[in-house]
Amino acid sequence: MTQWHPHPDQLVEFAAGSCRAGVSIAISVHLHYCTQCRQMLSELESTSAVLFEQQAPAPVANTAFASLMERIEREPAPSSAPAAKPQAPSRFPRALATLMPDSLEQLDWNQPMKNLRVTRLLDDGDLIIGLHHMKAGGRVPNHQHRGEEISVVLEGGFSDQLGSYAEGDFIRRSGKDTHSPQADAHEDCLILSVVEAPVKLTGPLGWILNPFLKA
Amino acid sequence: MAGAPVISILSAKKASNMTEASQAAQQWSDCLEAVARRQDVPAFEQLFNHFAPLIKAFALSSGLNRSGDHLPDELVQEVMLAVWRKAATFDRRKAAASTWIFTIARNQRIDMLRRLRKHQNDLPADDIWELEADSDLFGEVRQSRVQDQVRDRLSDLPVDQRQVMAKVFMEDKSHQEVAEEMDLPLGTVKSRVRLAMKKLKLSLEAFDL
Repeated sequence: MTQWHPHPDQLVEFAAGSCRAGVSIAISVHLHYCTQCRQMLSELESTSAVLFEQQAPAPVANTAFASLMERIEREPAPSSAPAAKPQAPSRFPRALATLMPDSLEQLDWNQPMKNLRVTRLLDDGDLIIGLHHMKAGGRVPNHQHRGEEISVVLEGGFSDQLGSYAEGDFIRRSGKDTHSPQADAHEDCLILSVVEAPVKLTGPLGWILNPFLKA
Repeated sequence: MAGAPVISILSAKKASNMTEASQAAQQWSDCLEAVARRQDVPAFEQLFNHFAPLIKAFALSSGLNRSGDHLPDELVQEVMLAVWRKAATFDRRKAAASTWIFTIARNQRIDMLRRLRKHQNDLPADDIWELEADSDLFGEVRQSRVQDQVRDRLSDLPVDQRQVMAKVFMEDKSHQEVAEEMDLPLGTVKSRVRLAMKKLKLSLEAFDL
């Protein structure tokens, strides 16, 4: 049972499809672990559907149905769906499965310090999605985030001055927060990190602790 | 005393609206199953006649037409094509037909809007907003009850809350964008949505608002 959830406003925007790309990926990953939020999403989608049905209908051309049926007969259904490739179940939520291999060792890691390694799964300029992998019991020195970062715990757990976090927890950090996370003692901790504005670190360790910042 | 009959007439009317809506919901589920089981074209045409104009309205509400006049009709075609092809994955025990079709329309619209904005690295919306019904959640009874409850209570919301709900849920606008468009403080938009949620008695209520 996860303890840290997206804000209800964020779930509303997720249900409506209007939230930013990075937030939507982080929420999707959280939902994988959190029945409570899935239930809420399902209710928000039911609400959306009622509003959807209550819209004033916009007329479509009389020929629209016929041309759709022509297209259905012309284009065979994509065969990729059923039997093409029986996918091995990924150990990660579906939103990440396409971004990462099943084995972490296949990724290209940077190791800025003994207890921590980091990698980027996606970087399109506006959005950086990465992984932080902390060694069991490892601590990362105190640092501050500038901008918004969302973390979702994928495996293991960690704690910092503000709380402790387990699998599936959804953690928002804004520029004001300073923390020094420490992984739980008994196992490594793997964290998804989503940054939609670059995070800058203050202090002499900035270059180490800010693996997402472009050189 | 004079008020009593009026109230009972009102609630009787409400009840009959609810039954009608529930019957319609059953009808759309039957149609989807007919499409899935035997590629039933007349059933599909019924679905098309009801949902295509709603999908088009949904496309227009996000301003898709501003990027191209043909796009709202293209969205209708894409969504209804997906309804035809995915009908076998629809499970009436887990979702109402209109919710299922809404989620397909939402995902297709997200993909279309993102393609227009030329984001290169976006994942397909279906990978993020999963369409598969969630087997951990509740069944048909609960699903249709949520929909009836929402439909019933939505009509009782004050106009300002309904208006904000429609914008936030249908128009592909964040709370912030709705606030800017309506020239309202962000906090006002958020609190209208939350008040509406409360009145709809969604479990969102259980969260610390």
